[in-house]
Amino acid sequence: MTLTSRALWRDARRHPWQWILAVLGVALGVAVVVAVDLANHSASRAFGLSLEAVSGKATHQIEATGPGGLDEALFTRLRMAGIRPSAPVVEGHVRVDGETFPLLGLEPFSEAPFRSHLTGVLDPAARELVSRPDTLALSRGLARRLGVEAGDSLTVTAASGRHVLRVGAILESSAPGVEGLLLTDIATAQVLLGRVGRLDRIDLILPEGSDPDALLAGFLPPGARVLETGAREQSARQLTRAFHINLTAMSLLALLVGGFLIYNTLMFAVLRRQALLAALRTLGVTRAEIFRLVLLEATVLALLGGVPGLLLGLLVGQGLVHLVTRTINDLYFVLSVTGLHVSPWLLLKGLGLGLGAAWIAALAPAWEAARTRPREGLRRSGLERRAHRLMPWLALAGVALILAGYALVPASQGLVAGFIALFLMIMGYSLLVPLGVWLLSRLLARPLGGVLGITGRLAARGLGAALSRTGVAVAALTVAVSATVGVGIMVDSFRTTVQGWLGHTLQSALYVTSPAPGDERAGSLLPEGVMERVGAVAEVAAFSTGRRIRVASSHGDVDLFVMDPAPASFEGFRFRAGSPAQAWPRWQAGEALLVSEPFAWHHRVSVGDELKLHTPKGERVFPVAGIYQDYGSQQGVVLMARDLYEQLWDERRVGSLGVYLAPGVEVSTGVEAVRRALADLPESSGPVLVTAAAEIREASMEIFDRTFAITHVLRLLTVGVAFVGILSALMALQLERAREHAVLRATGMTAGQVTGLVTLQGALLGLAAGLLAIPLGMMMADVLIDVINRRSFGWSMQQHVPPGVLVEAVWLAVIAALLAGLRPAWRMGRVRPAQALREE
Amino acid sequence: MKVASGKWLVARAPTPTLPRKRERGQQSRLPFSLSLSLSLRERAGVRVVLLATCHLLLATALIACSPPPPDESLDVAIAMGGDDTVGFLRADSPREFRFPEDHGPHPGFRNEWWYVTGNLDGEDGRRFGFQITFFRVALTPDVPESPSAWATDHVWMGHFALTDVGAGQHHAFERFARGAAGLAGARLDPFRVWLEDWRLAAVAGNDLPWRLQLEEAGISLDLEFTPRKPPVLQGDGGMSQKGAGEGNASYYYSMTRLDAVGHVGLQGQRHGVSGSAWLDREWSTSALAEDQAGWDWFALQLDEGRELMYYQMRRQDGSADPHSKGLWVDTDASSRLVRREDVDLEVLDHWRSPQTGVRYPVAWRLHLKPEGRVFEVRAVQPAQEMRLTVRYWEGAVYVYEGGQSVGRGYVELTGYR
Repeated sequence: MTLTSRALWRDARRHPWQWILAVLGVALGVAVVVAVDLANHSASRAFGLSLEAVSGKATHQIEATGPGGLDEALFTRLRMAGIRPSAPVVEGHVRVDGETFPLLGLEPFSEAPFRSHLTGVLDPAARELVSRPDTLALSRGLARRLGVEAGDSLTVTAASGRHVLRVGAILESSAPGVEGLLLTDIATAQVLLGRVGRLDRIDLILPEGSDPDALLAGFLPPGARVLETGAREQSARQLTRAFHINLTAMSLLALLVGGFLIYNTLMFAVLRRQALLAALRTLGVTRAEIFRLVLLEATVLALLGGVPGLLLGLLVGQGLVHLVTRTINDLYFVLSVTGLHVSPWLLLKGLGLGLGAAWIAALAPAWEAARTRPREGLRRSGLERRAHRLMPWLALAGVALILAGYALVPASQGLVAGFIALFLMIMGYSLLVPLGVWLLSRLLARPLGGVLGITGRLAARGLGAALSRTGVAVAALTVAVSATVGVGIMVDSFRTTVQGWLGHTLQSALYVTSPAPGDERAGSLLPEGVMERVGAVAEVAAFSTGRRIRVASSHGDVDLFVMDPAPASFEGFRFRAGSPAQAWPRWQAGEALLVSEPFAWHHRVSVGDELKLHTPKGERVFPVAGIYQDYGSQQGVVLMARDLYEQLWDERRVGSLGVYLAPGVEVSTGVEAVRRALADLPESSGPVLVTAAAEIREASMEIFDRTFAITHVLRLLTVGVAFVGILSALMALQLERAREHAVLRATGMTAGQVTGLVTLQGALLGLAAGLLAIPLGMMMADVLIDVINRRSFGWSMQQHVPPGVLVEAVWLAVIAALLAGLRPAWRMGRVRPAQALREE
Repeated sequence: MKVASGKWLVARAPTPTLPRKRERGQQSRLPFSLSLSLSLRERAGVRVVLLATCHLLLATALIACSPPPPDESLDVAIAMGGDDTVGFLRADSPREFRFPEDHGPHPGFRNEWWYVTGNLDGEDGRRFGFQITFFRVALTPDVPESPSAWATDHVWMGHFALTDVGAGQHHAFERFARGAAGLAGARLDPFRVWLEDWRLAAVAGNDLPWRLQLEEAGISLDLEFTPRKPPVLQGDGGMSQKGAGEGNASYYYSMTRLDAVGHVGLQGQRHGVSGSAWLDREWSTSALAEDQAGWDWFALQLDEGRELMYYQMRRQDGSADPHSKGLWVDTDASSRLVRREDVDLEVLDHWRSPQTGVRYPVAWRLHLKPEGRVFEVRAVQPAQEMRLTVRYWEGAVYVYEGGQSVGRGYVELTGYR
């Protein structure tokens, strides 16, 4: 074995670039996988820690099913009955310097069994917070970030208005979940969040195996329930699951491309060393040994590329985790941790995936090497003949895979199945690529020959003739480029759809909202007196009101959007199912509800189905009268008429107004008039924001683009891997062709012509990949839009194929191929024919 | 000097010699500090506590004052109380005590406690000792202005211990709550003091009889207290001078003999019990200067109808401080001051706690010279250590004289390490 290893090692030394590029390809592939995995994992852990910082060691939580929270007397009643450990919590969000932070109002003397942030009498911070109203505590890290010290003041915007709080204590706690939290005494939190008299939840530690409902029977008022802490975490995790799966699938695509690269390198190495392998066989080396040898090479490649890949992945992950947590913050909930969490297991997994991909990619080259006969090393022409013979079978297998992928789509509703289908299609399509390249070379030979003469014809036919290598290189580039096409079309379709939706959904000219972040259950609220003042403005023709709350239902916790529509509001809704003419009157009469499209998708609800809502008046059942298009919420929304809500919840406050202006009034005039009318709101009532619809539209699109930033980054990374692939393939091709080119030179071709030939071949490779990528890209876009996105988010969108994306794809491929061909072309032009001829 | 929960409450006065932060180590070696300058004329009342120290530091550099390790007993008081006496009422002149109104809270003062100990006999002959303390600490002199019902300036601490003599068991519990949202507090009309479901309340109106009801971890107490003697005032007419300077004193009275009748619940069994209890009430704002290691406090009820309260403060070297004193209460409730020189106290036996390794005295010979009486005081069982946020020993004792059992009582030992 040492002899064989040495022989192969020498080969690697003679052609270092081949191996370096393969290593680079593996490194990039592994890096992308590890980076995404890290980012996902860190976000998920951040989520767990954030939740733990907030829930502590509570096994159960009593919470209200509606927006009002719990009557605070419930806690005292529980304590008086000896139910403990128990801790009351008031929680919500506040804004500091434009950033949103979770605020946790705790009762320090109840805290010790639950959380370690503020615990009772031994903690001077707790004393400080209890004995001084309007003080808060925060972690050392956050204090540094906000530039405050103990004793400084901090201005926060909360539901009850703007408050100047004193930093009463800086927590030295090293618990990561506390990092992004603001802590106050429960009394302070009640005042800040406008929750005087109410609690958001009561944390409990119940003995294992106890029945919480039996234990608390007689205590829970209507509209309150007890939940297991884990259940709450689970449902929240469910929300982000689709998002994480999407990212993982994108990263696996990069690894797939990396796998192509390994295949290419090894296959080429095997072919180039046919004579050597034959000689080894003559010396008695067995087939199994040769097979193992190639696998060993793959292993070395994977390890050499994997380790730097891990390091690179850590680096890239650093950046990605911020993108991921930002997206989660935008889409789902505020995380209080953003650190990168690296576990050895995760790194091992990345390396393992790299190794696995390398071995799978090495199987075919190893098999090829093992079948080398002792005496006569296979002629290249023989191999090519075989490749050509194989082509139809490959193509057939490809078609079968694609069909299997399509068949899988309706077979399962799962997201993972959707991705498997997608990967089947990609694999199948890549098996068709050699056939495509061959056809293309045939098709192009004549016209190219006509335009460029012998060089053109040679370049085109050369591609087809060297199919065993060009096929794989083009397949790699095709997959990478098609990913950019598919994702590009998907994002663009999504964007166009959302833009259109914003256009018709934002019917009002301007909106009045509260800048204070609301808590998830009660939503944000407008101060008292806003409606009256806005109604009295002469420029205002009408307004609609909205409020979003979270309520318990037969489908778990759902977001309820309570609307009192203005006459023009109905224009803002596009129905996906149900008839607006029939649905709206029933909805307005309080007889039925409407649900948004994602809601209908996630909860498998269709028109005519019933929804059971837990209200303070008991459980109420409503039919669903219609399903409307909505991109505002990923988990979906139930739409309820305000009259019905007020009747059920005895609640009159609203969260936002959509203001319609009288005919002829400019938006800017309207904004001014409404702002003037609201200027005399008492200082204590909290801030109010008056925003023109156009600004909301812009802000929404900004969030949209930010959300997909990570997608773009992944796309580019994948192309990066493919670029390395094409560079490696071209170099291999040209090196191998050195002799052929020398013959051409010897028979009269100029150095410039050879350079041109090589460059042209590169461009043709790129063109082939670019053109072949378009159908695959469209296919991917189709699956992404109709399968992946729907299954992840429940959103439907109109497919919109921007010509730019397609042109971009071809250019991307051609330029990548040209760039990759630069060095080989330059080298080929400079090789002296005599020397090259002698070399073999 | 009742340390236990409340007893160290009477805090040390702020003086320029307050320990700085870097002296904390030393400070923790001297957790209980009593004033050297106890007036000789002062009559008994030192059941006082030292809610000690680092509050001044807290006020200025809150963060620097990190929470003490839990076994540094009195530092709890540190965290709870403080040195800043500004804005609080002071015990600076003799006052007229009014009963039953004075059973209620005195919110202008920073610290206050309701403390009951007693020995109980079960109908089945099983014996129990119990201690319950409701301990009020004001965090600031002013109630914070807030619309929230949770806003408060008060923290309550409760300690409850039951000694199950027959089983050799000792159960001790601790509880904290804010004085808001109905969780804990003290009221008159009718009188009641409660910490969640631990409550001591008048049966009617404000005066005794009172009923004590509490349950924790399956151990319950339901007792009614009927006084056999009126309240006796400790110190100088109820003003107990603790340290040099005006206002460094507490108001202090005791009810030295209460009949206790009711039930003890243990392991699902209800035991009918009757016995004798002792109530201590004290409120104050300022504390003593620090210098003492701790104290041994005796509350003895003799079968003949007399009671003896005596506390001996220990100095660092273990010797008795001259400011130790007590009160001898006669059968007609008249009382006489007991001075340090009136008493010889000799330790007869020690016990080392297997949990904390601390060695406590558990048997004494107490010679009350003016009365010519020599008592031998023995713990009913050595294991009565209170391992709570504050660690101390508080337990039921037997009193013997000439080899004969002559009474029972309670002893509190602090500052042992």
